[in-house]
Amino acid sequence: MAIEASPASLPAPTQAARPHRTAAPWGAIAAACAVLVCAGPALAVLAMALSAPPAAQDAALMRDSVLGTALLLAIGGGGATLLGVACATLVSVFAFPGRGFFAWALAAPLAAPIYVLAYGYSALTWAGGPLDWPLRGVAGAAFVYALGCYPYVYLATRAAFAAQSMCALEAARTLGATPISAILRAALPAAYPGVVAGAALAGMEIVADYGAAQHFGVTTITTGVFRARFAQDAPLLALQLAALLVLGAAFLMWIERRARGRRGYAAGPRWRPAALADAPRWFQIAATIFCAAVVALAFALPLGWLARLASLRPLSDVDGLAAPLFASLALAGAGALATLAFAAVAASAARHGDGWGRAAFLAAGLGYAAPGAVIALGAMSLYAVAREAGLVGGLSAGLGAALLIWAYVARFTAVGAQPLEAGLARVSRNVAGAARTLGASPLQRFWRVDLPIAAPAAAAGALMAFIEILKELPATLILRPANVETLAIRAYAYASDERLTQAAAPALLLTAAGLVPILLFTRALPRLRAGAR
Amino acid sequence: MTAAAIAVTRVRRAYGDAPAVDDVTVTAPAGRTLALLGPSGSGKSTLLRMIAGLEPVDAGEIRIGGDRVSAPGFTLAPEARRIGMVFQDYALFPHLTAAGNVAFGLAGAAREAREAEALSWLDRVGLKRRAGAYPHELSGGEQQRVALARALAPQPRAVLLDEPFSGLDSTLRATLRDMTMAAIADAGATAVFVTHDIDEALAIADRLAVMHQGRLLQEDDPRTVYDHPNSVEAARALGPVNVIAALARGGAAETPFGAVSAAGLSGAVSVAVRAEALQLVPGGRALVTARRPQGAFDAAWIEAGGVTWRAAIPNRGGPEPGARADVRIDPAGAFVFARKDGSV
Repeated sequence: MAIEASPASLPAPTQAARPHRTAAPWGAIAAACAVLVCAGPALAVLAMALSAPPAAQDAALMRDSVLGTALLLAIGGGGATLLGVACATLVSVFAFPGRGFFAWALAAPLAAPIYVLAYGYSALTWAGGPLDWPLRGVAGAAFVYALGCYPYVYLATRAAFAAQSMCALEAARTLGATPISAILRAALPAAYPGVVAGAALAGMEIVADYGAAQHFGVTTITTGVFRARFAQDAPLLALQLAALLVLGAAFLMWIERRARGRRGYAAGPRWRPAALADAPRWFQIAATIFCAAVVALAFALPLGWLARLASLRPLSDVDGLAAPLFASLALAGAGALATLAFAAVAASAARHGDGWGRAAFLAAGLGYAAPGAVIALGAMSLYAVAREAGLVGGLSAGLGAALLIWAYVARFTAVGAQPLEAGLARVSRNVAGAARTLGASPLQRFWRVDLPIAAPAAAAGALMAFIEILKELPATLILRPANVETLAIRAYAYASDERLTQAAAPALLLTAAGLVPILLFTRALPRLRAGAR
Repeated sequence: MTAAAIAVTRVRRAYGDAPAVDDVTVTAPAGRTLALLGPSGSGKSTLLRMIAGLEPVDAGEIRIGGDRVSAPGFTLAPEARRIGMVFQDYALFPHLTAAGNVAFGLAGAAREAREAEALSWLDRVGLKRRAGAYPHELSGGEQQRVALARALAPQPRAVLLDEPFSGLDSTLRATLRDMTMAAIADAGATAVFVTHDIDEALAIADRLAVMHQGRLLQEDDPRTVYDHPNSVEAARALGPVNVIAALARGGAAETPFGAVSAAGLSGAVSVAVRAEALQLVPGGRALVTARRPQGAFDAAWIEAGGVTWRAAIPNRGGPEPGARADVRIDPAGAFVFARKDGSV
């Protein structure tokens, strides 16, 4: 999921060059298309829910689901925030044995979809598991959310620490603060925007989760959408619940962006890495143990147990995974390419500083913040409208796949656009002008300058989107063409049947794929700072 | 290489309703250096970008070496103008080494020849050793030198420099400025140089154009602009001046510090006196309120008749704060301008 800076909070294009009034209108048209594609499903849900008469079909479901989500946000989100801040402070400020390893290992749980963590813990604690302390209900879900979502807070807070210059800590010391109070009074408050942004991201993830809540039998707004739509056949109620999700997600996104917007005040050009405080020996050992415990609980233990379960299965199981693996790769590949196209449109429009670029980023952010279930519902509703109007035919396999890809694009364009935007932001806007004054035609400029500069960032963006799509569950569940199973769906289907030993292998495959961007981005994080281009 | 004169005639460029450059006419003679001096927002960078072909003109025209390159509705592409540009942020290609950057604009020749040429340019700016380094591995000063070599390597008819030293500290600045101007002179190129630094403008300019709020205030050789500014703003552009509203009567305007010649003027005028044109002599008409060392000169604040002026006085001797003195105004640094609207 989102590493370092969140896609939902793509920085508003920094200090745009003067508006290019002579720019070709096709750039604006493409950006306008991106706005429609990304924000369309979520906005459709809002519009349809608002225009419909209030449904009194099941007030109880509405109440329970809102209550469930609120509880999980408070307990799971609160836990994630505490854990994330504690880990980020330890790793950023103190020197202790294993710090370098924990710096990235603490981000590792991001690789595992939350539902995989949930499967791991139920396998550990339910029938047949070594721990006889069954995790269920709100407590179980909150526990898993805290462990699965703290990395958002951890990474955002760590980035906020990294953006601080040592000067703040040194200034606090010269003003008479002890090392600990310097951290509490100078460093942490300065990292506060990062904490808030990370907590908002964790909140978005919790609100959007379907698999874990469903697995632990908690009624949340997201599981409520499914229940209303597919169990109770109450499409209006489903739309209203989904509209609640859109509003909640937009609110969290707003919080997140506001927090991000305030982080620019740190580090001037003379950035130096924050000095690592020397702590007493006992404290260092305690820090090591704490970090090790977090990594074990959030990653090693549940996934290790899943790995053990998978190893107990006969090898012939692997054959059964071939088809879902292929479907996953095909869908994620196609989705990533489509996503990259829209991400490129959004990023280049934003770079040219026109209003459509900002709108495209906002739309992409909204699509990212909105849960997959909402996007899928919105896409489906728009399809139904188009079909009634006679614009499209019946739901063929091809059309179904196209709808699904659309949902992926709406949901993950922000993920793809973020590395692109960040990559391009480090390049002077004058580079294009420099190429022209050196005799390159626009086409030559594209080949010799734009493309080589953007290629690594585009590859990173496509990879991020690819892995996100691989892990995506609710949208795929709703929109997948008949008989198509992805790895995520296979894991979900087995887990729903309480066949966790069989769910283990696809779940682990997804987690392994998710590790790739974590390694890529957390290892690169320190190098993204000062001096690096 | 053949240097080409750049002629900008009555050029205008507006964003929305706000003109960034309004009715500006300046000329850079072939092989000479034109400095555009003005505060941020005065339109000098926009003017430079129009000369480069990176911005269209809304009115007027631009000629390079006699060829018309910009007119309303016509903008010759930057790559067809044979000009070099050094950007304020250098705009080096991040995916190319220093040598790769310099070789970018070298077309035609075989690869080895281009590489050798790029190396020889890097050598000229003292960076041959860093040829294989990427921009992010170079210091600010090194990046600036690569940008200069890159702009000069294709042997352009003219080089445009957009505040090329603004990111550097003052010592490095002076060294690099000398090196840059020597390299440009060596190449025989026409140069247009944008800066907001007065000393820099005076140090490099053959012609000096003073810009203010999108308009050209004055264009002349630097000495003439300094000695004969055509407005209060033009006087201010070249150093601290004291400005006061006064009445011109009988060929003179009276200030609290003494009379200034106002030949040919009568009625409401603005008097502008350069700080360095105020000399303190023994006497009692003015009070020295403060004094600060500023290198070659001291800054002194003197008060008379409720008005405080700033003077640049020799840095040794002279009256200390609290002492009284008389003020002599050097007529070479005192200017009187007619006032139409009654404002200063």
